[in-house]
Amino acid sequence: MAVDRPTTTNLPEPVPPTGEPPIIIPDAAGDDELLRQFEMEQHPQGGFHGLLEVIPTKADYVLDLIRANSLWPLLSGLSCCAIEMMSTATSVNDIDRFGMFPFRASPRQADVLIVAGTLTTKMAGPLVRLWEQMPEPKWCVAMGTCTTSGGRFKRSYSVVQGVDRVMPVDVYVPGCPPRPEGLIYGMLKLHELVKQRRGQWSTYVDRGPQRTRWEGDVR
Amino acid sequence: MTTTDPEIRIPDPIELDRLEEQRLRAAAGLAPVHAEGGEYAGFDTVGIPDRPPQTEREREVYTLEEGEMLVNMGPQHPSTHGVMRIVVKVRGEIVVDVDPVLGYLHRGIEKLCENATYTTVLTYVDPMDYLSTMHNEHAPAIAFEKLYGIKAPPRAEYIRALVVELNRIFSHGLMMGFLALDIGGLTPILYSFINRDEVVDMLSAISGQRMLFNFFRVGGVNFDTNDEFLSRLGTWRANVLENVEMNERMITDNEIFRGRTVGMGRLTGPEAIALGVSGPNLRASGVPFDVRRAHPYSIYDQLEFDVITQEAGDSYARYLQRIAEIKQSIHLIDQIMDKMPHGPVQAQVPGIIRPKPGRAYGAVESPRGLYSVYAISDGGPNPYRFRMRDPSFISLQAIPKLMPGRLVADTMAVMASFDPVMGGVDK
Amino acid sequence: MEHVRGPRPAAHALGRRRALSAPVVAGALIRLLGDRLGSELGDLWTDEDTVEFTIDGARTVEVLTTLRDDPDLEFFFLADAAAVDYGTDAHFEVVYHLFSWKHPAWLRVRARVDRAEPRIPTITTVWEGAMFHEREMYDMMGIVFEGNRDLRRIYMSPDYKSFPQRRDFVLPDDAADSPAAGVNPLERPETWDLSRFRDELTRSAAPTFLPTGERPGAEPSVEAGRTDADKSRPR
Repeated sequence: MAVDRPTTTNLPEPVPPTGEPPIIIPDAAGDDELLRQFEMEQHPQGGFHGLLEVIPTKADYVLDLIRANSLWPLLSGLSCCAIEMMSTATSVNDIDRFGMFPFRASPRQADVLIVAGTLTTKMAGPLVRLWEQMPEPKWCVAMGTCTTSGGRFKRSYSVVQGVDRVMPVDVYVPGCPPRPEGLIYGMLKLHELVKQRRGQWSTYVDRGPQRTRWEGDVR
Repeated sequence: MTTTDPEIRIPDPIELDRLEEQRLRAAAGLAPVHAEGGEYAGFDTVGIPDRPPQTEREREVYTLEEGEMLVNMGPQHPSTHGVMRIVVKVRGEIVVDVDPVLGYLHRGIEKLCENATYTTVLTYVDPMDYLSTMHNEHAPAIAFEKLYGIKAPPRAEYIRALVVELNRIFSHGLMMGFLALDIGGLTPILYSFINRDEVVDMLSAISGQRMLFNFFRVGGVNFDTNDEFLSRLGTWRANVLENVEMNERMITDNEIFRGRTVGMGRLTGPEAIALGVSGPNLRASGVPFDVRRAHPYSIYDQLEFDVITQEAGDSYARYLQRIAEIKQSIHLIDQIMDKMPHGPVQAQVPGIIRPKPGRAYGAVESPRGLYSVYAISDGGPNPYRFRMRDPSFISLQAIPKLMPGRLVADTMAVMASFDPVMGGVDK
Repeated sequence: MEHVRGPRPAAHALGRRRALSAPVVAGALIRLLGDRLGSELGDLWTDEDTVEFTIDGARTVEVLTTLRDDPDLEFFFLADAAAVDYGTDAHFEVVYHLFSWKHPAWLRVRARVDRAEPRIPTITTVWEGAMFHEREMYDMMGIVFEGNRDLRRIYMSPDYKSFPQRRDFVLPDDAADSPAAGVNPLERPETWDLSRFRDELTRSAAPTFLPTGERPGAEPSVEAGRTDADKSRPR
């Protein structure tokens, strides 16, 4: 008998890819420092019991989904890649469908810094100041080869050889300039990072390893 | 893998003797960079430079009187021209003086080109004025062909003129969108980018790239036209006039747009010439200077077109000028497609050319003005000196002349009407 | 006028490939230049579409004012002002390109500047738009323009100490030799760990289902009670 065609009823249980443990949602209620600190373990309203154990962690997952689907970029177009970024933002290739319509002018309101264009030594100071002004959670996308590694200006005396020399980068999008489809692919990779809680930001309450482990993690 | 032994270092050229610069400055009668008497000696206001002013003009700008304030429209701002910093001295909302600070995108292209072969230079100049890449490549191609002593075949010249006019059309279309965007209208920019995407997909069919085309070679162009390019060109040409009309109708008679551009930034002809402004900005002030007519290059002496001017010289005139030029360019493209001959598209030129020692100057009409290249060859594979004159850079000098007396909000609007591109300004 | 090197070298190099039109066209200009500026000109040369001559650096303002104001010359537009460095033991040159309606050739004025004391009068009094040109020439080449009201760096930071476009400012041949090379671990291949990508590179992109219901390459199902998931699942 030939193998059944896969239908919704006879598919096996989804198994995560090899090498990585499944996404676990451990029971963190037992080791909550705040509870211990304020000695609330015995309090009837201290801690969460039963069904409520599930809600904060699910809320984190939902919050990550919300963050991923409405990443607001900072308007930081430096050079030619900025034009392709604008082209990605306008009607033909539209990243508004991914929630990234408002290019915020103020870094205080932005989530992701898409460094689009060549970073020069004179501009490095203002750009790092912008990065530092962005509140967490924030991510950085290095768009184009100039920000990845200095690109075609490899020997120049005034080009920073890659924006990762001055700030941490989450996604590198190569190209000179990358096609809008390429930038969209990079942003979708960033969505994956956001949902898996990888990247350059840390939660301000450290609840332990509540995410998939990844060898490249620095935290 | 090269290992760098810290003991044997190639000395960093940045570590030059600062006494040399101080000596030069003292000899020229300029103040030393760090004046004696403390950091703020002679500079008694809290201002944006954290060092004493070095020049007369700087002292003029950064000395505040009663009620004046320095506002920094910094390198990152919502206006879409790139990284330019304008230090604006305001009294209330009225601009009193303006100091543009440039160099946030200076990539050292001229220096890099001195170490590159002539063909590589044509790729280095692409990201200069990134909205008019074809023009950026056309001028060096002309200069190198003069140095090497060849002419491109006629079909190549026609293809060059064709892509150059296409580039002009989408660049002017983008200017319309950016001007409206800086004034506050968010829709025209979308239409400009739709138009740009159409043209740029067409150009990617012929050159392989959407933006920094790398299409020109010394002695011709890289690829011939192909079916996809011609089919897209036909489709686009069928629709372009009505698209331009549609975009125009949205903005040109718009009351808000007119209110914010008519009478703003008025530049008279002699003023513009003295400042070195060229291109549509100069023609909008009434001076009929078009390099394609004044010093014809490529096949422009065989094509028929008018040099249009406007009389008013304000932002509205600069906007109307660009619309008129879009229509001129469409007319030119029609003539080019009628007259294009068959033939090869690239002369037989070796990969690394070694022109005889000499000097050459090639100037083209870019959407922003006169873009020119001055190249000196010493007989070797690299140019000895490669100098680009960018029109946006020189047009920016009009800003300190036009701004005083206007409101802060008009700063960006007037600047957008000059259509500077920071890649060209900072090289 | 005796310094005119006529179009002979140009003709030899270009003759069979470019049609010459300029000698007739530039002749009027050369005669006029000799007339008005005879003593200042050195090394007049013409090609088919450019006339160039050399002057001494100290005379720029007078020469350019004559070129601009004389009714027969009327070079009203300064197209370009560039600086050239001819080597550490040679001189600088400031090159002006001018345009006139009356003469179809570009005019190139080359002003010689001494390298030890690189000073030359400013032409911002003649054309205001030369300000940015001169600032750039000062920034990149170190040429001081006397009388310029705003001679400060325009591209580099104000505290930058070198003049990048001089011939003795050398870019490293290989980016790997520059002092900042290899700072970024991504620039050192020995730090690259490609083992993470083994699965992605070897796995097919299409989902595959084996008869036993497993995915290919997946580890066999674990026994109950061994994983963290089992530990945390409520009993």
